[in-house]
Amino acid sequence: MEKILEIKDLEVRYYSDRKTVRAVNGLDLDLSPGKVLGLVGETGAGKTTLALSILNMIRAPQGKIEAGSISFAGKDVLSMSKHELRDMRGKDVAMIFQDPMTALNPVLSVGEQIAETVLKHEGLTKDQAWKRAEEMLLTVGIPAERSKDYPHQFSGGMKQRVVIALALACNPKLLLADEPTTALDVTIQAQVLDLMRTLIRDNGTSVLFITHSLGLVAENCDEVATMYAGEIVEYGTIDQVFGKALHPYTQGLFGSLPDLSEATKRLKPIPGLMPDPTALPAGCFFEPRCPYAMEVCKAAHPKDIDVGGHLVKCHLFDKEGGAGRKA
Amino acid sequence: MSAKKEKTVRGAEGTPILAVKNLKKYFHTARGNLHAVDDISFDIAKGKTLGMVGESGCGKSTTGRLLVRLHEATAGSIIYDGQEVTKADPAALKLLRTRMQMIFQDPYSSINPRHTVANIIGEPLKIHGKVKSTSEYEDRVKELMDTVGLAQRLYDAYPHELDGGRRQRIGIARALSLDPEFIVCDEPVSALDVSIQAQILNLLMDLQDKLGLTYLFITHDLSVVKHISDDIVIMYMGQIVERGPTEPLFEKPIHPYGRALLSAIPIPKLNSRKERIILKSEVSSPIDPKPVCRFAPRCIHARAECLASDPALREVAPGRFVACHFAEEFV
Ligand SMILES: Nc1ncnc2c1ncn2[C@@H]1O[C@H](COP(=O)(O)OP(=O)(O)OP(=O)(O)O)[C@@H](O)[C@H]1O
Ligand SMILES: Nc1ncnc2c1ncn2[C@@H]1O[C@H](COP(=O)(O)OP(=O)(O)OP(=O)(O)O)[C@@H](O)[C@H]1O
Ligand SMILES: [Mg+2]
Ligand SMILES: [Mg+2]
Repeated sequence: MEKILEIKDLEVRYYSDRKTVRAVNGLDLDLSPGKVLGLVGETGAGKTTLALSILNMIRAPQGKIEAGSISFAGKDVLSMSKHELRDMRGKDVAMIFQDPMTALNPVLSVGEQIAETVLKHEGLTKDQAWKRAEEMLLTVGIPAERSKDYPHQFSGGMKQRVVIALALACNPKLLLADEPTTALDVTIQAQVLDLMRTLIRDNGTSVLFITHSLGLVAENCDEVATMYAGEIVEYGTIDQVFGKALHPYTQGLFGSLPDLSEATKRLKPIPGLMPDPTALPAGCFFEPRCPYAMEVCKAAHPKDIDVGGHLVKCHLFDKEGGAGRKA
Repeated sequence: MSAKKEKTVRGAEGTPILAVKNLKKYFHTARGNLHAVDDISFDIAKGKTLGMVGESGCGKSTTGRLLVRLHEATAGSIIYDGQEVTKADPAALKLLRTRMQMIFQDPYSSINPRHTVANIIGEPLKIHGKVKSTSEYEDRVKELMDTVGLAQRLYDAYPHELDGGRRQRIGIARALSLDPEFIVCDEPVSALDVSIQAQILNLLMDLQDKLGLTYLFITHDLSVVKHISDDIVIMYMGQIVERGPTEPLFEKPIHPYGRALLSAIPIPKLNSRKERIILKSEVSSPIDPKPVCRFAPRCIHARAECLASDPALREVAPGRFVACHFAEEFV
């Protein structure tokens, strides 16, 4: 099947005061039409940077895509003209930003913002556009009478719902959803995700679903990728990864969760410090915190290993070496 | 946290340090009064955590801001350790602000982008004259950075250079800087990965054990709220619809909104999707709401009585308070 999104060897850096943040490091990622890929990973792993790269929105001068290629529906995003990019953003590829105010204009009412977007991209009349805006707001649980309110008059979660309505209004082919539902209660969350699923079914939209909630990934995604220090360290179907997480970092994430069914006094976070993206180790980036670390992990950076279609970047799975220590 | 500065908090363990009575906050809008917080009452005992959950826009942050007086109440009272917060004069308020702090929901807009990490964390120390020398200031800021797990290399960094999680830790460190006794934690971990969430939750619980801190903990993450809270309130459109001790409330929520909420918790396991209570998606408006049950338009059990009067919060089982005309049916 033709891929809607293909990312190869992506390297993204942020430069500040002689320091270089290695935000995304040699990352490969594919997405098929109509698929939902969950992207989980540590705070600061580069998830938002990855999503912004897909829109070619890494902000210069600090940020720079240093290497790699990104193709959307067969077109090279990194060599698109300003004009092509503007057409792509908001219409074919929509992004739901982690911070809702990035997407909202503080001096326009929320209804106007949605109407303006559909007016620009869908060629509707003013009245039709306004009607569509009200419909979209309703689907995310905001009554029509509030469509003339300004963003600052809404709570955090309500702003996020407006952003979701805005992103879905033009039926995009690819939706980059960066923590889209963190600010919502689970009943509205379920409602919004239902809406997303309808969109996927009706339009074959693909979704990159960035979240910290493993529960949402389990219930809404087809595939999942775990990101650590700018790399994808594990990739597989939901059955594969939730059935048996292979990478010690992914295992650590599962181990940190509070368990609804039993009370524990303290949670079990992954020991050690988050990696410093300005000084990443030469070997495996997770090695300093890994309970299974071996000699080779310090010396050599691991490559993707294919375990029955389930990819893992970890020396424990090297064919030679690391024998018998499969976690 | 410097234990030497530990304050003696009046009121023994178990007695309310905070008592909220009939608290209201209305925002004036062009179309009328928006009832953001509409007549809510609750207590929090010293050293305990009250978890607050509810729909987005139901008034949780507004409640939190009222408690630390970042909003002026429309009506009602907030007694903190014997003192009326809503009427505190500027001097009393300044003192209260060292004792009551808030960790904000939004790590982006709650911190000044032009200040360095150290400045943001240390500013309250300067405002309240808590440090005598530059070196004491620096030591204290570094200590706070350690406490919340921020690497010291970030001392002079700017917030825009940091990811969401690190920004949220700045907010936590700043809130801890004055050794408060009471903290409103407004979604303090929702921007963080689950391992750091676990770290921060452990940290908040350790601080509570060590210093007897009291928390109002606002979140949408029900697994987190269950883990950290002694008691729970569930809000819906400005009102408390259910209140009770954590364990029995999670075991069996009574209010139809609470039941729908708990049935929708996403579970991080394969094939664990359980029977969901799907709510109707009609929503009512918080602007000059009619005296009816505000949840009725979404409630699958709603009937004529629900649109005849607004149900009061009442005790329907020992320790279990519910605002529903038909609560007995769901006990
Ligand atoms: N403008 C910038 N200047 C310097 N460093 C930056 C900038 N933007 C991001 N970074 C750094 O790049 C890394 C990746 O950041 P990114 O926001 O992509 O992480 P993330 O995975 O989205 O994290 P989170 O889960 O906390 O949102 C982090 O170390 C971050 O501090
Ligand atoms: N400054 C304001 N002016 C007008 N209305 C406001 C203002 N601040 C909040 N509101 C309204 O008050 C209600 C409660 O908002 P609040 O921020 O307390 O909700 P919340 O429960 O914290 O929601 P979330 O879970 O999304 O953070 C909402 O309807 C909101 O639109
Ligand atoms: Mg991010
Ligand atoms: Mg809020």
